[in-house]
Amino acid sequence: MIEALWNNLDYAASVILFCIGLYAVITRNNLIKKFMGLNIMETAVFAFIVALGVVENGDAPIMGDGASAPFINPLPQALILTGIVVAVSTTALALSLVIRIWRQCGTIEADELREAE
Amino acid sequence: MTSWSPLLALFLVIPLVGAVLTPVVSDSSGRRSWGWAVFIMSVTSAMSVSLIVRVLEEGPFSYVIGGWVAPYGIELRFDEFSASVAIVCLLGLLAIVFSRHYAPQALTPERIPYYYTLLLLNLTGMLGFIVTGDLFNLYVFTEILSLSAYALVAISGEKTAEMAAFKYLVMGAVSSLSILFGVGLLYALTGSLNMADVTSRLAGTAHAPLVMAFAALTLGFMVKAALFPLHIWLPDAHAIAPSPVSAVLSGLVVKIGILGMLRVYQMAYGSGAIDLSGLNLTLTWLGAISIVMGAFFAVFQDDIKMMLAYSTISNIGYIVMGLGLASSYSLIGASVHVFNHALIKATLFLGAGALIHQTGQRTLTGLAGIGRSMPFTTAAISIGAISIVGIPPTAGFLCKWYIALGALEAGEPIFAVALVFGALLIFIYYIRMVNAFYFRKPQDAGAPAVHEAPLTMLVPVLILAALCLIMGILGRLPLSFIEPAVTRLLTPLGGG
Repeated sequence: MIEALWNNLDYAASVILFCIGLYAVITRNNLIKKFMGLNIMETAVFAFIVALGVVENGDAPIMGDGASAPFINPLPQALILTGIVVAVSTTALALSLVIRIWRQCGTIEADELREAE
Repeated sequence: MTSWSPLLALFLVIPLVGAVLTPVVSDSSGRRSWGWAVFIMSVTSAMSVSLIVRVLEEGPFSYVIGGWVAPYGIELRFDEFSASVAIVCLLGLLAIVFSRHYAPQALTPERIPYYYTLLLLNLTGMLGFIVTGDLFNLYVFTEILSLSAYALVAISGEKTAEMAAFKYLVMGAVSSLSILFGVGLLYALTGSLNMADVTSRLAGTAHAPLVMAFAALTLGFMVKAALFPLHIWLPDAHAIAPSPVSAVLSGLVVKIGILGMLRVYQMAYGSGAIDLSGLNLTLTWLGAISIVMGAFFAVFQDDIKMMLAYSTISNIGYIVMGLGLASSYSLIGASVHVFNHALIKATLFLGAGALIHQTGQRTLTGLAGIGRSMPFTTAAISIGAISIVGIPPTAGFLCKWYIALGALEAGEPIFAVALVFGALLIFIYYIRMVNAFYFRKPQDAGAPAVHEAPLTMLVPVLILAALCLIMGILGRLPLSFIEPAVTRLLTPLGGG
């Protein structure tokens, strides 16, 4: 059990990171902190998928002098590049919403907003 | 002409480019951006007809982007389930037409072009989601449609709208991550992202991660579909958004969650590598709870759009219950209900939007006696109401009948009871609505006379109401279309 965990330390780390993020999303009252939790979750999933492509002692998959097999799988990295773009736009949209909520209600604490509603 | 395959790629490129160009072609009044959006959506609809004709003639076909052969390249695939692009195009077009007079009243002028941009992006996301054959693209299109949906909910700029949008965004983003995680796990297990390829490689993979992958995907799509207990974002978001947006969100966007489940299950059933009966049982129960709970909350709403939003939760319950029962009857019923509920809910939301636009009232009390001054709109809403209760010969009857048959076929009569009980509750609240429109006296007699909605609002509502009736009477048509697809869904790969 411990050994399996040790061998898959990267996966275990992303699971822990994911849970930390989810905890922040659920329990934090401040909308920005909620969203930071979401960003932590995003990082966890991205790290997990990038870690999928890692090959022990692998080389960067770039052709040219000195390139020798085995290579790291570049596909997950390409996917996560897209994923990061999506995450950035989600963050931008969320922050602009938070700014507008703050301007209109004067607070970004979820419980105070609920009272104001 | 129908066999020109790049048409499938162009089908996504045209609304995408059209969406981006909308602010460029717009003028200060926003009138020209409306014309542009209608034009783009009409072209897309025409293309969808051509694609559906082809799938009827030749069966499923695919197009590989950039000439990289599947499973290495990104594949676009068009099969019988993809015929749901027709309903996306139809509702999208009607919602855009409806917005002509609605948008200037609900939004500030400088936001109107962006409103059409977001609406077109949202529709592109859905079309892409339906035709893609690639798991990662499935995630990307989910995000395109979700992000534009969050922005559309917030676009009116009211305080409550922004808060509803934020709530929607947080839940939606968590569910998207869950989907991405599931996709990542499937990639780790099979080394492929092409859905057909993944299906053929699933057999013999490790069991526990596979279950986790399907659970993560199902969980993600459950939030998108607003299934109990993950529905809490829906009532606010759908009720506060501008009415054409509510129609699109309620009719189509929540169905993306359902279609996502269908596509994921297609892989699970196809490979035969995983036993989904536990998951199915959970879904069936959650569906049954959704039906009763959504209908129960709807009964107590006075705000007409809030009531419709809760009714969506209830109807999603019907569809998910049909999926969960996993017998051929219930699957057919659920698939047909995806189409029919889209039609019905769009009728109701657009009709409600016309009432709100003309009177400025959104409560049943405020709308009392409206049937006299807006006879056509209220007639259309009443047809929608009868359909959603499921009284023959309207569109809602057939699907519920099939789902009930499916419950009996699966040997679970308790779910048929839940279905009938839900239908009774739905009956109560729609009777309340129809009663308020026709049989109650207008609240204050001194108010200025209300006129029937302008043609650009009335025509879409009437077309949709007519379709509710036609789909009920010609019920065999969608059935004959969906039956082969469902049969294929239930047959493991290589088995038939």
